[in-house]
Amino acid sequence: MRRTSVYFISLLVVTICGFRQIKAQDTLLIPLKIKVGLEVSGPATYYIEKKNLSTEGYIAVDLNEKTTALLGAGYLNYKYSQYNYDYQSSGIFLKAGVEFNLLKPEKAMGKYWGGLGLHYGVSMFNSEVPSFYKDNYWGTINSSIPGNTYWGHFIEATPGVRAELFKNFSIGWTISIRMLLYSSAGKAVRPIYFPGFGNGSKTISTGLSYFIAWNIPYKKITVITKKEEPAEEPDDPSKPATTQKSIISQ
Amino acid sequence: MKKLAPTKVLLIISGLILILISCTPESCFEETEPFVKASLYLQATGRLLAPDSLTVYGVGMVKDTLYKKAAGVTIANLPLNAGTHECSYVVKINGITDTVTFRYNTYPYLVSKECGFTFYHDLFPDSLVYTRHKIDTIYIRKNVITTLNEENIRIFY
Repeated sequence: MRRTSVYFISLLVVTICGFRQIKAQDTLLIPLKIKVGLEVSGPATYYIEKKNLSTEGYIAVDLNEKTTALLGAGYLNYKYSQYNYDYQSSGIFLKAGVEFNLLKPEKAMGKYWGGLGLHYGVSMFNSEVPSFYKDNYWGTINSSIPGNTYWGHFIEATPGVRAELFKNFSIGWTISIRMLLYSSAGKAVRPIYFPGFGNGSKTISTGLSYFIAWNIPYKKITVITKKEEPAEEPDDPSKPATTQKSIISQ
Repeated sequence: MKKLAPTKVLLIISGLILILISCTPESCFEETEPFVKASLYLQATGRLLAPDSLTVYGVGMVKDTLYKKAAGVTIANLPLNAGTHECSYVVKINGITDTVTFRYNTYPYLVSKECGFTFYHDLFPDSLVYTRHKIDTIYIRKNVITTLNEENIRIFY
């Protein structure tokens, strides 16, 4: 009876495996993290030049091994002088969006990020031109534009890289390409520079940011990666052979 | 451990950084002076034609002429006085003198971060006042006076 039971169970297992077509597979345990980051080039520049203070931070949560939700905020105090004018602005910004890790899970391992962020930003700031002058045929005109509070809306794409340098501590940089959607300052006297966006005299602005981040693992997921197997002779020649495929289970 | 990213990706990213750094201009290359662009038309034919001689200067600025017996001028550039809402020019076409007065509104305009601010003007409708010794008619084609290369008024003589 016992031998019969063993044979029966073995047969059942073989049958089930046969029906489900399970093949050899690799699994990876990927940690999902909550990340708290700080942009460092702004404060570093302020420390050296003692002129313009730009700060930015973010909190990001890994939704899975590829996608991260991000909420960022920052502050800017900016002064600029050109040959015929002085300018100053100060204010805050908020931005939210998603980031996509384009590295394969087996390369990223939850430690490396190389990809693209897409964000929507809103900025509230005070903009002022304390003095400017203009020379022309009729003489020199001195004028100023008093301070006022304005809003700016923009979208941002941020390709970049990040790497975990020490356990749960990563560094990285991103290029920011931003497009201004709306500025309440109007078209004639656009803000020269405003928080989160940068050069507001143009519709497109670019920038480079360097981040340090503290990563807090909160969950682990298993990523199953099927390695490429020798293609089987298909019964139907029109059907393609199986290639590399990733399956995720939590 | 395997390489973090393919060499090509690193090269492309590094290249983007270099482009970004090298494309950060700080010099002004844009036009910053707004002019009233005045086209000169011969009344008899209705065609654009440069007078044999053109002299233009602001009223009260006889020592500082914009055009002095100039030949071949079909479009005269006339800057407006941003400090007032009205200014007048003496326009001498083929030796005969007329006076043209502009009335307008002035407002500051940001050209760019590098070039700073200038003043744009809106000519008031039907506000051109002029004598008719040589000039026959002047009419406004575009009343916003900017740095763009657009015809603002037509002078028929």
